[in-house]
Amino acid sequence: MRCLIAGVTLLWTPLAFAAELGAPGEGPTVEMHGFVSQGAIKTTGNNYLLGTSKRGSVEFAEIGANFSGQLTDRLRVGFQLFASKLGSNGNFNVKADWFSLDYRWRDWLGLRAGRVKLPFGLYNDTSDIDAARVPVLLPQSVYPLADRDFLLAQTGFELYGFINLSSAGALEYRLYGGTIYIPLSGQAPGPVQVTAFNADYVAGGRLFWDTPVDGLRVGASVQALHLDVAVNYAFPMTTAETVTADVPALLWVGSLEYAAHDWLVAVEYSRWRSKVVDSSNAMLLPNMATVSERAYSLVAYRVRRWFQPGVYYSRMIRNVDMTEGAGAAQHDLAGTLRFDINTFWLVKLEGHFMHGTGGVDPGLNGGAARDTLPNNWGVFLLKTTAYF
Amino acid sequence: MLTRRSIGRWAAAALVLTAAFTWAPGNPGPAPVSASGGTYRVVVNPANPVTVVDRKFLSDVFLKKSTRWDGGDSARPVDLRPDAVARQQFSDDVLRRSVGAVKAYWQQLVFSGRDVPPPEVDTDEQVIRYVLRFTGGVGYVSGAANLDRVKPISIK
Repeated sequence: MRCLIAGVTLLWTPLAFAAELGAPGEGPTVEMHGFVSQGAIKTTGNNYLLGTSKRGSVEFAEIGANFSGQLTDRLRVGFQLFASKLGSNGNFNVKADWFSLDYRWRDWLGLRAGRVKLPFGLYNDTSDIDAARVPVLLPQSVYPLADRDFLLAQTGFELYGFINLSSAGALEYRLYGGTIYIPLSGQAPGPVQVTAFNADYVAGGRLFWDTPVDGLRVGASVQALHLDVAVNYAFPMTTAETVTADVPALLWVGSLEYAAHDWLVAVEYSRWRSKVVDSSNAMLLPNMATVSERAYSLVAYRVRRWFQPGVYYSRMIRNVDMTEGAGAAQHDLAGTLRFDINTFWLVKLEGHFMHGTGGVDPGLNGGAARDTLPNNWGVFLLKTTAYF
Repeated sequence: MLTRRSIGRWAAAALVLTAAFTWAPGNPGPAPVSASGGTYRVVVNPANPVTVVDRKFLSDVFLKKSTRWDGGDSARPVDLRPDAVARQQFSDDVLRRSVGAVKAYWQQLVFSGRDVPPPEVDTDEQVIRYVLRFTGGVGYVSGAANLDRVKPISIK
């Protein structure tokens, strides 16, 4: 709550803070930006994203503030503090969302060091920025909110660049390597609890081709990571046991985006492969591989400066080798109305028709198996964000 | 599960959709903008040898994808405020995005730690003063602005 108050206070501080501190472009400059988001969620049928969504919840808020300084023509530094609340996740604990020093030697080669947002697909690195997108919830097949801590940022190094290909367009690339920190808080209560989740490494890259057609870009991203996990099994009438295993994973996504004038069209297709190997108890935690399939298609159009509707269809299959049952997949048809009240404030209304429960967390639904949960259900969201 | 055939259908549908949007009537193609005509003019510092600039390059400069002129000077773009008519026309013609879409683009970069937008100023005179301050300065002003002190350039 203190963070929320601090965030609101910052937001309504005179807008001089949002501008450069100092005359534009004269010597080192520092900029401050921030946002405050508050949402409400109501679902029918199943609890989704948080354990109280069926009865309606406002435990859906985000606050961020960042500072960045242009020290020389080529060198920038910056950091962002972020706090959020999504059900039992977040609890407004302030953390360093990203921090980096950024040396852009040439347009085609720059280096970032620090905690850097992961470039995966079109929107992963901006997935917690409500103002930067049309939907309240990005397609959860490719950008699952529940996996935010896995996928959002890595601590390490990144090379990046922009290569102008003249009439053939341009290439934009990012290559990174480092590690990720995965907090264990926020697990739904139950007999199975993850007690350790350490990433040995995360590495990957993203390449986009800005085609000669204005606003059309296509590309691909890949990410490899290796996790060491420990899971505690404490079933009634049995002795609790902790099982350890290695989990290597490989994620990739192919992307197409058309963003020109007032149109936005995005299509992405992704596969995530993860394996459990070297399990210390294969009866409880079997050695096995899983490949999930994820895809969506999104269209939005800015009808007026203040009004932008959008729709998307998103589909996720948990395991391509096990496609039977309501819990094997989730189809999500979503519609959003975005209203930009002014340059600093927006409101969104959103509805989802869901078919299948593949993306539902059983832990939020009394531990019921996904196949036994209601198969057709809905999600309704209201969210407002102020930013500068 | 998506089969190869269904993936193909998705891809084909996306391409058709994109092509339809790209070449739809009313979606303006490259708009010739001359330094002496039109409702806005692009201006640079008089010390900048550039007289004609490629539209795509200019767009990349204002989106900070390209940060240097051919001569190596740091490019320093400056924007007018979002409700300025010249800003809206420049955005549509050169960036090929609405001002709202450009602001969304900058939100993505600002809050992911990648960059910050060009400074925004209120008047043509402030644009001119900014451009005069830096050799690599580049901005746009309304057609009525006095260009005696800066160098107007053409867009190809």
